[in-house]
Amino acid sequence: MSEIKEIPANTLMAFGIVGGLLGIYLTYILSVAGDAAGGPVKEFLTTIAPAAGALGGMCAIVWGAEAVRRVAKYGLGTGVPSIGQIALGMGIIAAMFGLAIVKELTLAGPIVALVTASVIGLIIGWFAQNVIKMKIPVMIRCMTEIAAAGSLIIIGFSAAISGTFEFSKLISTVFDNGFILAVFWVGAMAMLHPFNACLGPDEKQKRLLYLAASTGAITMAVIGIAAIMTLGASGVVTLLLGIVLWLIFYKLFWDEVYKDAAAVVGTGLIPKTEA
Amino acid sequence: MVALDPTTLMNILYIAISGTLVCIAVHFIPVGGAPAAMAQATGIGTGTVELAAGSGLVGLITASYMYSIPSVQQDPNVMALVLAAGAMGSMIMLASTMLTGSLIYAYGVGVPFASAQVKKDPITGARQDLYMSKGTQGQGLPTICFVSGIIGAALGGIGGALIYYVLVGIYAKSAIIGGSAAAVAGVFTMGVFYVNSVVPSYGVGGTIEGFHDPKFRRVLPKDAVTSFVVSALCGILAILIGGGF
Repeated sequence: MSEIKEIPANTLMAFGIVGGLLGIYLTYILSVAGDAAGGPVKEFLTTIAPAAGALGGMCAIVWGAEAVRRVAKYGLGTGVPSIGQIALGMGIIAAMFGLAIVKELTLAGPIVALVTASVIGLIIGWFAQNVIKMKIPVMIRCMTEIAAAGSLIIIGFSAAISGTFEFSKLISTVFDNGFILAVFWVGAMAMLHPFNACLGPDEKQKRLLYLAASTGAITMAVIGIAAIMTLGASGVVTLLLGIVLWLIFYKLFWDEVYKDAAAVVGTGLIPKTEA
Repeated sequence: MVALDPTTLMNILYIAISGTLVCIAVHFIPVGGAPAAMAQATGIGTGTVELAAGSGLVGLITASYMYSIPSVQQDPNVMALVLAAGAMGSMIMLASTMLTGSLIYAYGVGVPFASAQVKKDPITGARQDLYMSKGTQGQGLPTICFVSGIIGAALGGIGGALIYYVLVGIYAKSAIIGGSAAAVAGVFTMGVFYVNSVVPSYGVGGTIEGFHDPKFRRVLPKDAVTSFVVSALCGILAILIGGGF
Protein backbone atom coordinates (compact mmCIF):
# COMPACT_ATOMS: atom_id res chain seq x y z
CA MET A 1 0.00 0.00 0.00
CA SER A 2 3.02 2.25 0.36
CA GLU A 3 2.98 2.77 -3.40
CA ILE A 4 0.47 5.59 -3.06
CA LYS A 5 2.25 8.91 -3.22
CA GLU A 6 1.30 11.16 -0.37
CA ILE A 7 1.85 14.87 -0.11
CA PRO A 8 4.70 15.28 2.43
CA ALA A 9 3.81 16.70 5.83
CA ASN A 10 6.24 19.59 5.36
CA THR A 11 4.59 20.69 2.13
CA LEU A 12 1.19 20.76 3.80
CA MET A 13 2.65 22.59 6.77
CA ALA A 14 4.10 25.23 4.46
CA PHE A 15 0.76 25.41 2.67
CA GLY A 16 -1.07 25.94 5.95
CA ILE A 17 1.31 28.55 7.35
CA VAL A 18 1.85 30.51 4.14
CA GLY A 19 -1.75 30.22 2.96
CA GLY A 20 -3.14 30.96 6.41
CA LEU A 21 -0.99 34.01 7.03
CA LEU A 22 -1.41 35.24 3.46
CA GLY A 23 -5.19 35.06 3.77
CA ILE A 24 -5.16 36.82 7.12
CA TYR A 25 -2.83 39.57 5.92
CA LEU A 26 -4.78 39.98 2.68
CA THR A 27 -7.76 41.20 4.72
CA TYR A 28 -5.51 44.07 5.76
CA ILE A 29 -3.61 44.57 2.49
CA LEU A 30 -6.72 44.55 0.31
CA SER A 31 -8.47 47.17 2.38
CA VAL A 32 -5.33 49.35 2.47
CA ALA A 33 -4.92 48.94 -1.29
CA GLY A 34 -8.58 49.83 -1.68
CA ASP A 35 -8.12 52.99 0.35
CA ALA A 36 -5.18 53.95 -1.85
CA ALA A 37 -7.05 53.31 -5.10
CA GLY A 38 -10.29 55.01 -4.12
CA GLY A 39 -13.52 55.06 -6.11
CA PRO A 40 -15.29 51.86 -7.15
CA VAL A 41 -12.06 49.86 -6.80
CA LYS A 42 -12.03 50.74 -3.13
CA GLU A 43 -15.57 49.52 -2.69
CA PHE A 44 -14.77 46.27 -4.48
CA LEU A 45 -11.55 45.58 -2.60
CA THR A 46 -12.91 46.39 0.84
CA THR A 47 -15.92 44.16 0.17
CA ILE A 48 -13.88 41.12 -0.78
CA ALA A 49 -11.12 41.67 1.80
CA PRO A 50 -12.72 39.78 4.73
CA ALA A 51 -13.33 36.69 2.57
CA ALA A 52 -9.54 36.35 2.24
CA GLY A 53 -9.33 35.76 5.99
CA ALA A 54 -11.74 32.87 5.68
CA LEU A 55 -9.68 31.42 2.80
CA GLY A 56 -6.64 31.62 5.08
CA GLY A 57 -8.60 29.77 7.75
CA MET A 58 -9.44 27.13 5.16
CA CYS A 59 -5.76 26.57 4.38
CA ALA A 60 -5.10 26.16 8.10
CA ILE A 61 -7.94 23.63 8.35
CA VAL A 62 -6.42 21.50 5.58
CA TRP A 63 -3.07 21.61 7.37
CA GLY A 64 -4.63 20.88 10.75
CA ALA A 65 -6.63 17.96 9.39
CA GLU A 66 -3.44 16.43 8.02
CA ALA A 67 -1.69 16.87 11.38
CA VAL A 68 -4.68 15.32 13.18
CA ARG A 69 -4.49 12.45 10.71
CA ARG A 70 -0.86 11.75 11.46
CA VAL A 71 -1.23 11.81 15.25
CA ALA A 72 -4.65 10.19 15.55
CA LYS A 73 -3.53 7.24 13.40
CA TYR A 74 -1.77 5.92 16.48
CA GLY A 75 -5.01 5.71 18.41
CA LEU A 76 -5.41 8.26 21.16
CA GLY A 77 -7.80 6.24 23.29
CA THR A 78 -10.09 9.21 23.63
CA GLY A 79 -11.40 9.59 20.13
CA VAL A 80 -10.38 11.98 17.43
CA PRO A 81 -12.67 14.84 18.56
CA SER A 82 -10.56 15.41 21.67
CA ILE A 83 -7.58 16.46 19.60
CA GLY A 84 -9.65 18.93 17.61
CA GLN A 85 -10.90 20.45 20.83
CA ILE A 86 -7.48 20.77 22.43
CA ALA A 87 -6.19 22.26 19.16
CA LEU A 88 -8.73 25.05 19.20
CA GLY A 89 -8.40 25.39 22.98
CA MET A 90 -4.68 26.06 22.60
CA GLY A 91 -5.34 28.06 19.45
CA ILE A 92 -7.80 30.43 21.07
CA ILE A 93 -5.49 31.13 24.02
CA ALA A 94 -2.59 31.84 21.68
CA ALA A 95 -4.68 33.86 19.26
CA MET A 96 -6.05 36.12 22.00
CA PHE A 97 -2.61 36.55 23.48
CA GLY A 98 -0.89 37.20 20.16
CA LEU A 99 -3.41 39.75 18.97
CA ALA A 100 -3.65 41.52 22.33
CA ILE A 101 0.01 41.69 23.28
CA VAL A 102 1.19 43.54 20.18
CA LYS A 103 -0.95 46.60 21.02
CA GLU A 104 -0.30 49.18 18.25
CA LEU A 105 1.80 46.82 16.11
CA THR A 106 -1.36 45.14 14.84
CA LEU A 107 0.42 43.58 11.88
CA ALA A 108 2.67 41.47 14.09
CA GLY A 109 -0.36 39.93 15.85
CA PRO A 110 -0.99 36.82 13.72
CA ILE A 111 2.70 35.89 13.69
CA VAL A 112 3.05 36.32 17.45
CA ALA A 113 -0.09 34.19 17.87
CA LEU A 114 1.32 31.51 15.57
CA VAL A 115 4.58 31.39 17.50
CA THR A 116 2.79 31.37 20.88
CA ALA A 117 0.52 28.55 19.74
CA SER A 118 3.52 26.55 18.58
CA VAL A 119 5.19 27.02 21.96
CA ILE A 120 2.06 25.96 23.88
CA GLY A 121 1.65 22.99 21.55
CA LEU A 122 5.28 22.04 21.98
CA ILE A 123 5.01 22.13 25.77
CA ILE A 124 1.77 20.11 25.85
CA GLY A 125 3.19 17.68 23.31
CA TRP A 126 6.36 17.27 25.36
CA PHE A 127 4.35 16.60 28.52
CA ALA A 128 2.03 14.19 26.71
CA GLN A 129 5.03 12.29 25.42
CA ASN A 130 7.35 12.37 28.42
CA VAL A 131 5.18 12.81 31.49
CA ILE A 132 1.88 11.19 30.54
CA LYS A 133 3.91 8.76 28.39
CA MET A 134 1.62 8.35 25.45
CA LYS A 135 4.30 6.68 23.35
CA ILE A 136 3.32 8.34 20.11
CA PRO A 137 6.50 9.28 18.22
CA VAL A 138 4.92 12.14 16.26
CA MET A 139 3.11 13.55 19.31
CA ILE A 140 5.33 16.58 19.93
CA ARG A 141 5.51 17.65 16.32
CA CYS A 142 1.82 17.11 15.64
CA MET A 143 0.69 18.83 18.84
CA THR A 144 2.77 21.85 17.82
CA GLU A 145 1.28 21.78 14.34
CA ILE A 146 -2.35 21.44 15.41
CA ALA A 147 -2.01 24.23 17.96
CA ALA A 148 -0.51 26.52 15.34
CA ALA A 149 -3.21 25.56 12.85
CA GLY A 150 -5.83 26.16 15.54
CA SER A 151 -4.60 29.70 16.14
CA LEU A 152 -4.63 30.47 12.40
CA ILE A 153 -8.17 29.08 12.13
CA ILE A 154 -9.36 31.32 14.95
CA ILE A 155 -7.66 34.44 13.58
CA GLY A 156 -8.62 33.74 9.96
CA PHE A 157 -12.31 33.26 10.60
CA SER A 158 -12.46 36.02 13.21
CA ALA A 159 -10.93 38.36 10.63
CA ALA A 160 -13.57 37.23 8.15
CA ILE A 161 -16.32 38.21 10.59
CA SER A 162 -14.76 41.42 11.79
CA GLY A 163 -12.89 42.57 8.68
CA THR A 164 -9.74 43.15 10.71
CA PHE A 165 -7.55 41.34 13.20
CA GLU A 166 -7.11 44.27 15.53
CA PHE A 167 -7.87 42.97 19.03
CA SER A 168 -9.94 45.94 20.18
CA LYS A 169 -12.19 45.64 17.09
CA LEU A 170 -12.43 41.88 17.45
CA ILE A 171 -13.73 42.31 20.99
CA SER A 172 -16.73 44.30 19.85
CA THR A 173 -17.48 42.35 16.67
CA VAL A 174 -16.56 38.77 17.53
CA PHE A 175 -16.37 38.39 21.31
CA ASP A 176 -19.24 40.51 22.56
CA ASN A 177 -21.85 38.93 20.31
CA GLY A 178 -20.60 35.40 20.89
CA PHE A 179 -19.57 34.67 17.31
CA ILE A 180 -16.25 33.48 18.71
CA LEU A 181 -18.07 30.36 19.92
CA ALA A 182 -19.16 29.62 16.37
CA VAL A 183 -15.60 30.17 15.17
CA PHE A 184 -14.32 27.88 17.92
CA TRP A 185 -16.76 25.06 17.42
CA VAL A 186 -17.22 25.07 13.69
CA GLY A 187 -13.45 25.45 13.29
CA ALA A 188 -12.80 22.51 15.63
CA MET A 189 -15.37 20.39 13.80
CA ALA A 190 -13.87 21.24 10.44
CA MET A 191 -10.43 20.20 11.63
CA LEU A 192 -11.33 16.98 13.45
CA HIS A 193 -14.10 15.72 11.19
CA PRO A 194 -12.02 14.70 8.14
CA PHE A 195 -9.97 12.10 9.96
CA ASN A 196 -12.86 11.09 12.18
CA ALA A 197 -14.90 10.33 9.07
CA CYS A 198 -12.16 8.75 6.97
CA LEU A 199 -10.22 6.73 9.55
CA GLY A 200 -9.73 3.05 9.13
CA PRO A 201 -7.44 0.69 7.24
CA ASP A 202 -8.60 2.11 3.92
CA GLU A 203 -7.88 5.72 4.84
CA LYS A 204 -6.20 7.71 2.05
CA GLN A 205 -4.61 11.12 2.29
CA LYS A 206 -6.11 12.50 -0.91
CA ARG A 207 -9.65 11.69 0.09
CA LEU A 208 -9.10 13.16 3.54
CA LEU A 209 -7.64 16.39 2.19
CA TYR A 210 -10.57 16.91 -0.16
CA LEU A 211 -12.92 16.35 2.76
CA ALA A 212 -10.89 18.79 4.86
CA ALA A 213 -11.16 21.41 2.13
CA SER A 214 -14.90 20.82 1.95
CA THR A 215 -15.38 21.12 5.72
CA GLY A 216 -13.24 24.25 5.57
CA ALA A 217 -15.47 25.64 2.86
CA ILE A 218 -18.68 24.90 4.76
CA THR A 219 -17.11 26.59 7.79
CA MET A 220 -16.47 29.57 5.56
CA ALA A 221 -20.15 29.58 4.60
CA VAL A 222 -21.24 29.48 8.26
CA ILE A 223 -18.80 32.27 9.07
CA GLY A 224 -20.26 34.14 6.07
CA ILE A 225 -23.67 34.10 7.75
CA ALA A 226 -22.11 35.59 10.89
CA ALA A 227 -20.25 38.15 8.77
CA ILE A 228 -23.49 39.27 7.11
CA MET A 229 -24.62 40.37 10.55
CA THR A 230 -21.46 42.35 11.24
CA LEU A 231 -20.22 43.50 7.81
CA GLY A 232 -23.19 43.18 5.46
CA ALA A 233 -22.10 42.85 1.82
CA SER A 234 -18.69 41.34 2.66
CA GLY A 235 -20.46 38.56 4.49
CA VAL A 236 -22.43 37.70 1.37
CA VAL A 237 -19.16 37.34 -0.54
CA THR A 238 -17.79 35.00 2.14
CA LEU A 239 -21.03 33.02 2.23
CA LEU A 240 -21.32 32.58 -1.54
CA LEU A 241 -17.63 31.79 -2.00
CA GLY A 242 -17.89 29.27 0.82
CA ILE A 243 -20.88 27.54 -0.78
CA VAL A 244 -19.21 27.41 -4.22
CA LEU A 245 -15.98 26.02 -2.77
CA TRP A 246 -17.94 23.53 -0.73
CA LEU A 247 -19.75 22.23 -3.80
CA ILE A 248 -16.45 21.89 -5.68
CA PHE A 249 -14.55 20.12 -2.92
CA TYR A 250 -17.45 17.97 -1.87
CA LYS A 251 -17.76 16.75 -5.46
CA LEU A 252 -14.02 16.00 -5.52
CA PHE A 253 -14.35 14.11 -2.22
CA TRP A 254 -17.37 12.27 -3.57
CA ASP A 255 -15.44 11.20 -6.70
CA GLU A 256 -12.56 10.06 -4.53
CA VAL A 257 -14.90 7.95 -2.40
CA TYR A 258 -16.26 6.28 -5.54
CA LYS A 259 -12.74 5.68 -6.84
CA ASP A 260 -11.57 4.11 -3.56
CA ALA A 261 -14.63 1.94 -3.08
CA ALA A 262 -14.29 -1.64 -4.31
CA ALA A 263 -17.60 -1.33 -6.07
CA VAL A 264 -20.66 0.85 -5.86
CA VAL A 265 -23.73 -1.21 -6.58
CA GLY A 266 -27.43 -0.75 -6.07
CA THR A 267 -28.65 -3.74 -4.09
CA GLY A 268 -32.31 -2.83 -3.94
CA LEU A 269 -34.40 -3.65 -0.92
CA ILE A 270 -33.63 -6.62 1.28
CA PRO A 271 -35.60 -9.52 -0.20
CA LYS A 272 -38.32 -10.97 1.97
CA THR A 273 -37.44 -14.46 3.06
CA GLU A 274 -39.61 -17.00 4.73
CA ALA A 275 -39.01 -18.13 8.28
CA MET B 1 6.70 46.59 32.43
CA VAL B 2 6.18 46.82 36.15
CA ALA B 3 7.81 44.40 38.57
CA LEU B 4 5.89 41.32 39.57
CA ASP B 5 3.57 42.15 42.41
CA PRO B 6 2.10 39.56 44.75
CA THR B 7 -1.43 39.98 43.37
CA THR B 8 -0.29 39.08 39.86
CA LEU B 9 1.58 36.06 41.12
CA MET B 10 -1.46 35.09 43.15
CA ASN B 11 -3.67 35.36 40.06
CA ILE B 12 -1.33 33.16 38.01
CA LEU B 13 -1.33 30.67 40.83
CA TYR B 14 -5.15 30.76 40.98
CA ILE B 15 -5.37 29.98 37.28
CA ALA B 16 -2.82 27.18 37.60
CA ILE B 17 -4.76 25.73 40.52
CA SER B 18 -8.07 25.97 38.70
CA GLY B 19 -6.62 24.23 35.65
CA THR B 20 -5.36 21.48 37.92
CA LEU B 21 -8.80 21.24 39.56
CA VAL B 22 -10.38 20.73 36.14
CA CYS B 23 -7.78 18.07 35.43
CA ILE B 24 -8.48 16.28 38.71
CA ALA B 25 -12.22 16.57 38.05
CA VAL B 26 -11.86 14.59 34.84
CA HIS B 27 -10.49 11.65 36.81
CA PHE B 28 -13.56 11.58 39.04
CA ILE B 29 -16.09 11.50 36.26
CA PRO B 30 -17.10 7.99 35.20
CA VAL B 31 -16.34 8.02 31.49
CA GLY B 32 -16.92 4.93 29.45
CA GLY B 33 -16.35 6.19 25.97
CA ALA B 34 -17.48 4.09 23.02
CA PRO B 35 -17.57 0.78 24.97
CA ALA B 36 -19.98 2.30 27.48
CA ALA B 37 -22.16 3.53 24.67
CA MET B 38 -22.65 -0.15 23.84
CA ALA B 39 -23.13 -0.93 27.57
CA GLN B 40 -19.88 -2.90 27.63
CA ALA B 41 -18.05 -0.73 30.14
CA THR B 42 -19.02 1.16 33.26
CA GLY B 43 -19.66 4.86 32.89
CA ILE B 44 -21.41 7.30 30.66
CA GLY B 45 -21.20 6.48 27.00
CA THR B 46 -19.28 9.47 25.71
CA GLY B 47 -15.81 10.94 25.75
CA THR B 48 -14.00 12.47 28.71
CA VAL B 49 -13.73 15.82 27.05
CA GLU B 50 -17.41 16.03 26.18
CA LEU B 51 -18.44 15.29 29.76
CA ALA B 52 -15.88 17.44 31.51
CA ALA B 53 -16.35 20.33 29.14
CA GLY B 54 -20.14 19.96 29.13
CA SER B 55 -20.46 20.10 32.88
CA GLY B 56 -17.68 22.67 33.22
CA LEU B 57 -19.23 25.04 30.73
CA VAL B 58 -22.59 24.87 32.50
CA GLY B 59 -20.69 25.69 35.66
CA LEU B 60 -19.13 28.62 33.83
CA ILE B 61 -22.56 29.91 32.86
CA THR B 62 -23.94 29.68 36.41
CA ALA B 63 -20.78 31.22 37.85
CA SER B 64 -20.79 34.12 35.41
CA TYR B 65 -24.47 34.71 36.06
CA MET B 66 -23.80 34.82 39.78
CA TYR B 67 -20.96 37.27 39.20
CA SER B 68 -23.13 39.51 37.04
CA ILE B 69 -25.54 40.24 39.90
CA PRO B 70 -24.55 43.69 41.25
CA SER B 71 -25.27 42.91 44.92
CA VAL B 72 -23.05 39.82 44.69
CA GLN B 73 -20.15 41.92 43.42
CA GLN B 74 -20.44 44.10 46.51
CA ASP B 75 -20.53 41.10 48.82
CA PRO B 76 -17.30 40.40 50.75
CA ASN B 77 -17.71 36.69 50.00
CA VAL B 78 -18.08 37.21 46.27
CA MET B 79 -15.44 34.60 45.40
CA ALA B 80 -17.08 31.90 47.48
CA LEU B 81 -20.48 32.68 45.96
CA VAL B 82 -19.17 32.52 42.41
CA LEU B 83 -17.30 29.27 43.04
CA ALA B 84 -20.36 27.73 44.72
CA ALA B 85 -22.55 28.73 41.80
CA GLY B 86 -20.07 27.15 39.38
CA ALA B 87 -19.95 23.95 41.39
CA MET B 88 -23.76 23.77 41.61
CA GLY B 89 -24.23 24.29 37.88
CA SER B 90 -21.71 21.60 37.03
CA MET B 91 -23.13 19.15 39.53
CA ILE B 92 -26.69 19.61 38.30
CA MET B 93 -25.58 19.18 34.71
CA LEU B 94 -23.60 16.01 35.34
CA ALA B 95 -26.19 14.56 37.72
CA SER B 96 -28.92 14.97 35.13
CA THR B 97 -26.69 13.46 32.45
CA MET B 98 -25.93 10.47 34.65
CA LEU B 99 -29.56 10.08 35.70
CA THR B 100 -30.81 10.11 32.11
CA GLY B 101 -28.01 7.77 31.09
CA SER B 102 -28.92 5.42 33.94
CA LEU B 103 -32.58 5.41 32.93
CA ILE B 104 -31.59 4.42 29.42
CA TYR B 105 -29.14 1.75 30.60
CA ALA B 106 -31.67 0.28 33.04
CA TYR B 107 -34.90 0.44 31.07
CA GLY B 108 -33.72 0.84 27.49
CA VAL B 109 -30.66 -1.39 27.22
CA GLY B 110 -31.69 -3.48 30.20
CA VAL B 111 -28.39 -4.06 31.97
CA PRO B 112 -27.78 -4.40 35.71
CA PHE B 113 -25.34 -1.77 36.95
CA ALA B 114 -22.01 -3.25 37.91
CA SER B 115 -18.47 -2.00 38.33
CA ALA B 116 -15.59 -4.04 36.96
CA GLN B 117 -12.98 -2.49 39.21
CA VAL B 118 -14.29 -3.30 42.69
CA LYS B 119 -15.81 -6.46 44.09
CA LYS B 120 -18.17 -4.59 46.40
CA ASP B 121 -19.53 -1.13 45.97
CA PRO B 122 -17.68 0.85 48.68
CA ILE B 123 -20.82 2.89 49.42
CA THR B 124 -23.72 0.44 49.25
CA GLY B 125 -21.69 -2.71 49.88
CA ALA B 126 -23.51 -4.50 47.06
CA ARG B 127 -21.70 -7.30 45.23
CA GLN B 128 -20.62 -6.22 41.77
CA ASP B 129 -18.94 -9.20 40.14
CA LEU B 130 -22.13 -11.30 40.16
CA TYR B 131 -23.88 -8.89 37.86
CA MET B 132 -21.13 -8.36 35.38
CA SER B 133 -21.85 -9.81 31.95
CA LYS B 134 -19.11 -11.98 30.51
CA GLY B 135 -16.64 -10.21 28.26
CA THR B 136 -17.59 -6.73 29.43
CA GLN B 137 -15.94 -4.18 31.68
CA GLY B 138 -19.07 -3.67 33.74
CA GLN B 139 -22.18 -1.77 32.74
CA GLY B 140 -24.19 1.27 33.68
CA LEU B 141 -23.51 3.60 36.57
CA PRO B 142 -23.27 1.98 40.02
CA THR B 143 -23.73 4.23 43.06
CA ILE B 144 -20.01 4.71 43.58
CA CYS B 145 -19.59 6.00 40.03
CA PHE B 146 -22.51 8.37 40.43
CA VAL B 147 -21.09 9.80 43.65
CA SER B 148 -17.63 10.06 42.13
CA GLY B 149 -19.08 11.86 39.14
CA ILE B 150 -20.83 14.40 41.35
CA ILE B 151 -17.58 15.11 43.22
CA GLY B 152 -15.77 15.49 39.89
CA ALA B 153 -18.39 17.88 38.56
CA ALA B 154 -18.10 20.01 41.68
CA LEU B 155 -14.33 20.25 41.31
CA GLY B 156 -14.62 21.03 37.61
CA GLY B 157 -17.22 23.71 38.26
CA ILE B 158 -15.07 25.29 40.96
CA GLY B 159 -12.05 25.20 38.63
CA GLY B 160 -13.90 26.84 35.76
CA ALA B 161 -15.51 29.43 38.01
CA LEU B 162 -12.18 30.32 39.60
CA ILE B 163 -10.49 31.03 36.25
CA TYR B 164 -13.46 33.12 35.23
CA TYR B 165 -13.55 34.99 38.51
CA VAL B 166 -9.85 35.84 38.37
CA LEU B 167 -9.87 36.87 34.72
CA VAL B 168 -13.04 38.94 34.81
CA GLY B 169 -11.52 40.92 37.66
CA ILE B 170 -8.31 41.57 35.72
CA TYR B 171 -9.97 42.35 32.39
CA ALA B 172 -12.51 44.75 33.87
CA LYS B 173 -9.57 47.02 34.73
CA SER B 174 -7.96 46.68 31.30
CA ALA B 175 -8.13 49.66 28.98
CA ILE B 176 -8.75 47.75 25.74
CA ILE B 177 -11.10 45.09 27.06
CA GLY B 178 -12.96 47.04 29.75
CA GLY B 179 -16.68 46.61 29.21
CA SER B 180 -16.32 43.28 27.42
CA ALA B 181 -14.48 41.66 30.32
CA ALA B 182 -17.14 38.98 30.76
CA ALA B 183 -17.00 37.85 27.13
CA VAL B 184 -13.21 37.78 26.89
CA ALA B 185 -12.79 36.09 30.27
CA GLY B 186 -15.44 33.52 29.35
CA VAL B 187 -13.78 32.63 26.06
CA PHE B 188 -10.34 32.39 27.63
CA THR B 189 -11.74 30.19 30.40
CA MET B 190 -13.25 27.95 27.75
CA GLY B 191 -9.84 27.60 26.09
CA VAL B 192 -8.10 26.71 29.35
CA PHE B 193 -10.93 24.34 30.17
CA TYR B 194 -10.61 22.42 26.93
CA VAL B 195 -6.88 22.09 27.23
CA ASN B 196 -7.19 20.84 30.79
CA SER B 197 -9.92 18.36 30.03
CA VAL B 198 -8.11 16.83 27.06
CA VAL B 199 -4.69 16.50 28.74
CA PRO B 200 -5.93 14.18 31.53
CA SER B 201 -8.14 12.28 29.12
CA TYR B 202 -4.95 11.22 27.35
CA GLY B 203 -3.63 10.13 30.72
CA VAL B 204 -6.65 7.99 31.57
CA GLY B 205 -6.71 6.64 28.05
CA GLY B 206 -10.36 7.19 27.38
CA THR B 207 -12.12 5.34 30.20
CA ILE B 208 -12.12 5.62 33.97
CA GLU B 209 -14.73 4.62 36.53
CA GLY B 210 -14.08 7.15 39.26
CA PHE B 211 -11.94 7.49 42.35
CA HIS B 212 -12.24 3.78 43.16
CA ASP B 213 -10.60 2.81 39.87
CA PRO B 214 -6.94 1.70 40.30
CA LYS B 215 -6.16 3.85 37.29
CA PHE B 216 -7.10 6.90 39.35
CA ARG B 217 -4.08 6.67 41.61
CA ARG B 218 -1.77 5.63 38.82
CA VAL B 219 -2.37 8.50 36.43
CA LEU B 220 -3.57 11.36 38.63
CA PRO B 221 -0.14 12.67 39.76
CA LYS B 222 1.43 12.97 36.31
CA ASP B 223 -1.73 14.43 34.78
CA ALA B 224 -1.99 16.95 37.60
CA VAL B 225 1.65 18.04 37.15
CA THR B 226 1.10 18.49 33.41
CA SER B 227 -2.07 20.49 33.94
CA PHE B 228 -0.46 22.66 36.59
CA VAL B 229 2.44 23.64 34.33
CA VAL B 230 0.25 24.18 31.29
CA SER B 231 -2.32 26.19 33.24
CA ALA B 232 0.36 28.34 34.84
CA LEU B 233 1.58 29.18 31.34
CA CYS B 234 -2.00 29.96 30.31
CA GLY B 235 -2.31 32.14 33.41
CA ILE B 236 0.74 34.18 32.42
CA LEU B 237 -0.65 34.64 28.91
CA ALA B 238 -4.07 35.56 30.31
CA ILE B 239 -2.61 38.30 32.49
CA LEU B 240 -0.51 39.64 29.63
CA ILE B 241 -3.65 39.88 27.48
CA GLY B 242 -5.10 42.29 30.00
CA GLY B 243 -1.94 44.38 29.63
CA GLY B 244 -0.84 43.26 33.08
CA PHE B 245 2.47 42.95 34.97
